[in-house]
Amino acid sequence: MMDELMEILEELRPDVDFASETALITDGILDSFDIVALVGELNDAFDIEIKPNNLVPDNFNSAKAMLALIEQLQDE
Amino acid sequence: METSVLCRLNAAAEKYHDKIMFKDHENALTFGQFNELTKAIGTFLAGKTNAGDPVVVMSGRHIKTPACFLGAVRAGCFYAPMDGDMPVTRLNQIIGVIKAKIMVVDKAHLEIAQSLNYDGEIFVMEDILDTPVDEAVLAEREKTLVITSPLYVIFTSGSTGVPKGVITSHLSLMTYIDSVSKVLDINDADVMGNQSPLDYIAAVRDIYFPISKGASTYIIPKNEFAVPTALFETLNREKITALCWSVAGVTLPAKLGAFDVIKPEYLKKLCFSGSVMPCKYLKIWQENLPDVLYVNQYGPTEATASCTYYVVTDKVEDDTVLPIGKPYDNYKITILSEENEEVPYGEQGEICVSGPILALGYYGNAEYTEKSFLQNPLNPNYRELIYKTGDLGSWGEDGNLLFHGRKDRQIKHLGHRIELGEIEEAAHKVEGVKDCCSLYNKPKEHLYLFYTGDATSKDIVLYFRKNLPAFMVPRKLVNLDKLPTLPNGKIDMQTLKTYFK
Repeated sequence: MMDELMEILEELRPDVDFASETALITDGILDSFDIVALVGELNDAFDIEIKPNNLVPDNFNSAKAMLALIEQLQDE
Repeated sequence: METSVLCRLNAAAEKYHDKIMFKDHENALTFGQFNELTKAIGTFLAGKTNAGDPVVVMSGRHIKTPACFLGAVRAGCFYAPMDGDMPVTRLNQIIGVIKAKIMVVDKAHLEIAQSLNYDGEIFVMEDILDTPVDEAVLAEREKTLVITSPLYVIFTSGSTGVPKGVITSHLSLMTYIDSVSKVLDINDADVMGNQSPLDYIAAVRDIYFPISKGASTYIIPKNEFAVPTALFETLNREKITALCWSVAGVTLPAKLGAFDVIKPEYLKKLCFSGSVMPCKYLKIWQENLPDVLYVNQYGPTEATASCTYYVVTDKVEDDTVLPIGKPYDNYKITILSEENEEVPYGEQGEICVSGPILALGYYGNAEYTEKSFLQNPLNPNYRELIYKTGDLGSWGEDGNLLFHGRKDRQIKHLGHRIELGEIEEAAHKVEGVKDCCSLYNKPKEHLYLFYTGDATSKDIVLYFRKNLPAFMVPRKLVNLDKLPTLPNGKIDMQTLKTYFK
């Protein structure tokens, strides 16, 4: 699943090193329009529904955090 | 009689001396404090410039940035704001056009400033804020300003690959601000929530409503727009009453479902512009905030931000298309045919604007200025310039102007004006790109680049990220063996559009 996520992220922003970044939102590396695009892609790819309450920096600051969010939403 | 925006700033500083004028997530400035900062910066700059010089300002999203702008004006100069987050290539292009002797930067942008192809002097804003104010020098410089003096130069996308600097006068800006604040009823009880980057045209309302009307402006941190619930919490914490946002900014919280969690409680006025509003999102706003005044605005930077407005009185449906409405006070709209004649009522033509709100032209580019700002072909008797917007429009039955898209290949994406040709110019500079065509999938808001050659999409995006503003970087790159062509050899864009995913 991490591979699929990394593929989506790579396509969204090929200029960002998602393997090492840990402050994607806090540092403003991903902007609001990246997030809108990303939420749509993740919802489709992983059959989840990301809610506004999930849209906090902690859930999107790193690829690892996003994976944890996806897994949590899939369990619900 | 008013001779410049300084008349307004002087009056506001006296009347609202201890009231908050600008606030960001860390600091706040009262009208009195702001005014003193502009005087300190102005005194310093007066010693380094001649009246009428351009001053480049590269400073971040904080309350001292507008003080730098007005500080330049206090020195009898005009300002050219630059967004330090833009790629270096772009910043160098802007510097190459404006050729200023002086640049003011905040500490955070000093390193970038020093890396630019710039041979003028760079001053750090934090170092000049303590300059002792010299009222006599400032009075002398203020006296050099007349109402038609340039106030700022703001850069927009240019199809040749070089951004164009649109010059706006004090008169134009004050005319626009007075007209729009009348429609929105902006007054000293209002708190604006600033979304637009401060170097961008849409920020003029957030900067000049305080100066002109005594309103306050809160500069919302950029990353809150990625966290919609935090964004609305901020609107409530700061008791924000009025928003003048891009359509992209307004649709964002609706798209991300923010209203399911929290609602802005103090909001009374919402004005949006920059592109066509998809009404399925406006509907969400209306359903949640039925008492807010919603205003759709239309107009180019060349006519000082906006020309026309439409107050949305009815509840919209998903497929509602909003008119762009009626001209603001002191804006004259004419719709011309290809033959430069006024089109009959109800028929489409090019929207043309005239009045005291017309820009002074494109900085350092007389050729382009003359092409875009022309003698009104309907007026053989005296000098009356019009600006041809390149937008198609018609008058509707109710007297409201309707918008029908562009004549050329300029698009509006995420609230920004983009010449697709500029993206292609950039793509051609990437090794391994042979032919290319950039197109916009409007329903999905996706920017495409179709190209031939061996370059990978990663190569191209990496080059774009270094050389173009982020909003101009296509999200979808499609490598083709050959671009479809028309019998005359030109690229067949209609066929390419069928390749949208």
